[in-house]
Amino acid sequence: MTSVPAFVDYEFGDRKELCLCAASRASRRVLLVPPLFDEMNRMRRMLVDVMQSLACLQVCSFLPDLPGTNESLVTLDQVSLADWQDAIQACAQQHDISHIASFRGGALTIAAMPTASHWIFSPAKGATLLRTMLRTKVAADREAGRNTGLAELAAQAESGAIELAGNIIGRELFAQLNAAEIPEMENRRIVRLESDSKPADGKIAGSALWLRAEPDDDPAMSAAIARDIANWMMQ
Amino acid sequence: MHNKVDVTPEAAVRAVMRDILGLSEEQVAEFTAETELFGALPELDSMAVAGLLTELEDRLDIMIEDDEVDGELFETFGNLVAFAEMKVTE
Repeated sequence: MTSVPAFVDYEFGDRKELCLCAASRASRRVLLVPPLFDEMNRMRRMLVDVMQSLACLQVCSFLPDLPGTNESLVTLDQVSLADWQDAIQACAQQHDISHIASFRGGALTIAAMPTASHWIFSPAKGATLLRTMLRTKVAADREAGRNTGLAELAAQAESGAIELAGNIIGRELFAQLNAAEIPEMENRRIVRLESDSKPADGKIAGSALWLRAEPDDDPAMSAAIARDIANWMMQ
Repeated sequence: MHNKVDVTPEAAVRAVMRDILGLSEEQVAEFTAETELFGALPELDSMAVAGLLTELEDRLDIMIEDDEVDGELFETFGNLVAFAEMKVTE
């Protein structure tokens, strides 16, 4: 089976968003929901490796652009977390997918699909992701001679859009992310790295590529993730 | 579900440094209290430091305030471990 992913699309609102698709003729289908912000960039290579490994296991996979990210024509400051949740649901419906594998902050976008089967990798709370981004802003402000703090910036984000680590985040997205917890789902499998001590239904050997200062890949970890997803889909 | 395993502050700092810098277990095991960090490791930029702090908070269940973070904290591996040890006993 060919393992070169190709772009397809999905409709959301009055426009189309792109979606990478591998092994489109396989009957088993899974939607991969990427991490958010910087982590999305740092893990894209890994996710594409996972898609290629899934293709070898006869599983078709889709990797959508969230509105406001990657090739999307909408600007990020116009987008809310509720939009991301609706977009992921729209993509799954349009491509007839009932298995969703979300990574890190991507797990915050699956809330609109309580009846789907969910595989979740190292989920992160929205407040945790924002805290890291707020810290980069505090550091940048300090270098520019301004003394700001986390609480002050968070208050600023409540009144209007704020630029954090190169992302312009609107008031709504900030507030929704700040409150977003990892969703409780009836049918879910949580997978974490072996080095992670939090409760998990499965463990994968490897290291946290989303923390890596220089984006990197880990083919063994990507293959292990693909095997775990494929086995879970058989159940 | 697996049971939660407690990690020592030093093990947590070592594990996070390993993830951020992309080092092997052997390489990060060679870090001593005197190993220089900020300035000596170009990968450790402000984005990486921000990720490191949040990750330590998450793994050790601590909260790190803005005014606790200064250049000295990241001078050496020993400083960072001592800080993490101090935070978990607070």
